[in-house]
Amino acid sequence: MRARALVVAALAVACATPAHATPPWGRPAAVATPRPAAGARARASSPAAPSLASSVPTAELPEHAPVAAGAEGPTLGATDLARLLGATKYWRATLRKLELRTASHRVQLTVDNPFALVDDRTIELPVPVRSSGGVLRVPVALVDSLPRDTSITRLIYDARRGLVLRVPPEGLVRSPRLVPTAAGLTIAFPTDGPEDAVVIGRARAHFRVRLRGLFVGALPESLPPGGLLRAARLLPASDGCAFELVVAPEAQGYRLTPSPRGDAVELALLRSDDAGAERFAPEGTGAAPMLRVVVLDPGHGGGDAGVTAQGAVEKTLTLELARALAREIEQHLAARAVLTRTDDRAVGVQQRAETANRARADVVLSLHFDGSPAPGARGVTVFCPPATYAAAAADGPQPIALLPWRDVATRHAVRSRALAEAIASQLVLRGLGPVRLREVLPEPLLGVNAPGLLIECATLTAATDRARVTSADGLDQLARALAAGLDAYRRPE
Amino acid sequence: MRRLILVLLVIAALGFATWQWVIVPRRPVAMPVPAADTLGAGLRAVQLYFVAPSGDRLVAESRELPEAATLHERVAALVAELDRGPTGAAVAAVPPGTSLLHVYLDDEGLMTVDVSRAFQQGFRGGAGAEYLAVSSLVRTLAANVPGVKRVLIVCGGEPLVTLGGHLPLDRPLDVTEIPTP
Repeated sequence: MRARALVVAALAVACATPAHATPPWGRPAAVATPRPAAGARARASSPAAPSLASSVPTAELPEHAPVAAGAEGPTLGATDLARLLGATKYWRATLRKLELRTASHRVQLTVDNPFALVDDRTIELPVPVRSSGGVLRVPVALVDSLPRDTSITRLIYDARRGLVLRVPPEGLVRSPRLVPTAAGLTIAFPTDGPEDAVVIGRARAHFRVRLRGLFVGALPESLPPGGLLRAARLLPASDGCAFELVVAPEAQGYRLTPSPRGDAVELALLRSDDAGAERFAPEGTGAAPMLRVVVLDPGHGGGDAGVTAQGAVEKTLTLELARALAREIEQHLAARAVLTRTDDRAVGVQQRAETANRARADVVLSLHFDGSPAPGARGVTVFCPPATYAAAAADGPQPIALLPWRDVATRHAVRSRALAEAIASQLVLRGLGPVRLREVLPEPLLGVNAPGLLIECATLTAATDRARVTSADGLDQLARALAAGLDAYRRPE
Repeated sequence: MRRLILVLLVIAALGFATWQWVIVPRRPVAMPVPAADTLGAGLRAVQLYFVAPSGDRLVAESRELPEAATLHERVAALVAELDRGPTGAAVAAVPPGTSLLHVYLDDEGLMTVDVSRAFQQGFRGGAGAEYLAVSSLVRTLAANVPGVKRVLIVCGGEPLVTLGGHLPLDRPLDVTEIPTP
């Protein structure tokens, strides 16, 4: 369980936000197909689900445009260039000249002319601007000649991806450098935000560092044999970038500090346990989460019917599902189930949270059914509170952070994420998916002091989902899957 | 005889030249659009976010809109385009009839966007749809208005606690936290 908790914690925090600025919303985290939970693997020999790593999305690329590799070299469409710069285009047909204007800069390009005018500077491009198929193609070298001040969008040509990208506000992370030292090994990550780097997993086998910024470099092709670093890979992350390192057992400690020049963050892996060095996570098993009280929150009620589709009414389905799940929990998990409403009436958000907190809930599940105008929308969406760095460091020293009470559920983000993974796995294994996971603090979990999720258990506007949940055994089937997820969550791996 | 042939050749050459210049239309030269001088009406590319047909993410669509002179004009145009909907198979995310009432952008990058009541009254759906509706609006604003760091949505001039009861909107949303399409 400890190992799984670490993995889950690290991955959760790979999508995390700084503790000092917990946003009302977390990050998107489209999880298509989570891995089977531990319990599932123990009981069933189902086909292996995709690895957990695949459930964490790769950071979305910032605005970008494709680069065409022509005979004269890589070029970018002028329309794309204007879009990336946020510039307005002015075309002078008589002069065959295109002018891109931003608030404070101008770029003039002329067809079949290798000279570009950037403000009052003349730039010689390696090849002329060409007109092809009605679109001007501009050599990507122009990107490096654009002004560097903050009044114009900064662009970068990423040859590895074959794209010109807008540099995101959090900046870039470039190829790491390995520097052997007398004390061990230093890995320097060139980054625009060295102060934002954070260790999100301290186990030697899965040592994880997260940096703000878009990674535009490459990992070293080879590592020094016998060194403290055994392997390195890029982790999918929904924001910034994250690296997972396999650290040799000889390493006794590590230190993560900004470089003296402030243009990189340096991770020092140390052979000796220096004063001031951080320790790696102890390698052992952790305690399994308790599951004595499960609070079930049937969504909507009273005058708020929620989603309605072809006779299916959300408020009714959530209440019936809560009752079925309560039976499963009490009969098979030997835990107590508490419902925030037991009949068709409106219950406020605060009252729901109060019920959960008074019951000293070990877990809170807010049960809902989704509806969408998109014709292909179907399946399950799980919302869990966004993890914070402080939450990730729950077993280590934490900085003091003030947290509004309404956000108290984020304190349990790591466990909530583990719960989400466990439940999602069961739903997928039982054919009740697809399941998406979003790290967002939902309204029904405001003020809830426990691990919790909002689960949109199916999409009522999808005919297949609706037919399933309104069938005779549909809600019982869902209840059994949710109970199995709760069981997997509390079982040690 | 030779003189006659010469005269005929000259007449044929003149006829061919006339046919080329007058009768046959000039082949157009490949040019970026628009093909005429547009110094009076610049176009700006904008990025709009709609819901994918699968209903589980946003998809981006680029359009060119006339350059707006003011922040209000620009944001109003963006909201109007979101309301107009996508050109392809995607789905409009904001409830129908949504329009801009007021918009403010402070020095800290906080944009307060006041949308019409249709935004709330026209919403139908669960948490997933709510998430994408709000994300579509916030993401579109952040992508096209420089300097926006946080967005506070108000509706009809009044605070909006939540759109559909699933996600809190009573605090500004940090654009970096809003979402991967």
